[in-house]
Amino acid sequence: MNPAAESPTEFDEQLERLLDRCAAADSRALQRLYALVSPMLFACITRIVRRRALAEEALQDVFISIWQQAGQFTATRGRPMAWMMSIARYRAIDLQRRERLAPTLVAQPEEYRTLDAEPESESSSAAWLPSAELMKRCLALLSHQQARCLELAYVDGNSHEEIARLIGSPLGTVKSWIRRALRSLRQCLES
Amino acid sequence: MTPENREVVDRLASEYALGTLRGPARRRFERWRASTAFVDQRCRFWEEQLMDLAKDLKPVQPPAHVWPAIQRRLNLTTRQAALRRIRSFALAASVVLVVGAAALLYWRSLPAIRPTAVATISAKSGEHLWELEVLGADRLVARAANLPARPPGFDYELWALPAGGAPVSLGVLPAAGASSRALTAIQKQALARSTQVAVSIEPLGGSPTGQPTGAVLYVAPLHTPS
Repeated sequence: MNPAAESPTEFDEQLERLLDRCAAADSRALQRLYALVSPMLFACITRIVRRRALAEEALQDVFISIWQQAGQFTATRGRPMAWMMSIARYRAIDLQRRERLAPTLVAQPEEYRTLDAEPESESSSAAWLPSAELMKRCLALLSHQQARCLELAYVDGNSHEEIARLIGSPLGTVKSWIRRALRSLRQCLES
Repeated sequence: MTPENREVVDRLASEYALGTLRGPARRRFERWRASTAFVDQRCRFWEEQLMDLAKDLKPVQPPAHVWPAIQRRLNLTTRQAALRRIRSFALAASVVLVVGAAALLYWRSLPAIRPTAVATISAKSGEHLWELEVLGADRLVARAANLPARPPGFDYELWALPAGGAPVSLGVLPAAGASSRALTAIQKQALARSTQVAVSIEPLGGSPTGQPTGAVLYVAPLHTPS
């Protein structure tokens, strides 16, 4: 089974329609898209980039890229949320490098207001991630250390070295856990 | 592509999407992705799959000033904002008609803001890609014309090339339409010492280093309009 071929959720379809309209230069579609997905993208960014001004700059950059590249998304398709999250995460990873090169930084993630995940909220976490049952099953096959390493890398934007320091394991071991975890995921997803 | 190569591509794509592929290797891989369909396809596969790792992230509401900043950067005017302005203007005009008329007369007496420097960035074929204007002392306007297809995940970045100095970024160029942005003191100084501008291909949002990291695709003369 190809997991990418799962039926898109209604949320995905709504995002696709908005991206189509963005590609046609409809600014109201971008505003609606911002209202729908900016809390999720900002959550991703603030886990990776801790400085408030930098995180806000990243979010601006992300929506400018979405506006400018919406036509490319419509050409390639795929899951719209994955496309937008990748833009956000990669921009955050780029800025994180700049942030870590800078002198002492003010990290006050509590300044950000976390939305309560209310069921009726259109941006609650339950609504914004399409169901990926297969991936869930595949992740469950990983060891605790492997899953933890993937989460520290993907969600918090940590490098191999940072993960090794965080969990107190040798760098080589961490690299090996991650490599094996990714191989195991691929085998599981494509089996 | 051999099965071994496909294996390598897949491993790199998974580490790229996970975020553990870093530094120059990440940049090289991004360039490879931009030019090779199979690499792009594997990246998209991993981007979609790994998204599940973020399932426990709680949405965070961005501050209210971020959206207006995006609108400003993209020169967007929503219908609602336009209607609000029209209503405000009508109300104000009815009360201070005389002042408005005086202001109009004053405005008409002002000279139009003329570009102080212009450049046309063209493809080798001669086709115009962007028109640039420096308006007054501190505003750069860029208009996209007939752009080549841009690889996904990349931006075109504009650079001033000051005589005897390193390139100074003038920001990311629009892929469509026009952008207008205020120039910083450093950008103004760099432009004053430049007779040329250049365009490089960079990661989304522009070069992370402050210097061109991708290929320099176009160079164009900067001149004072006649």
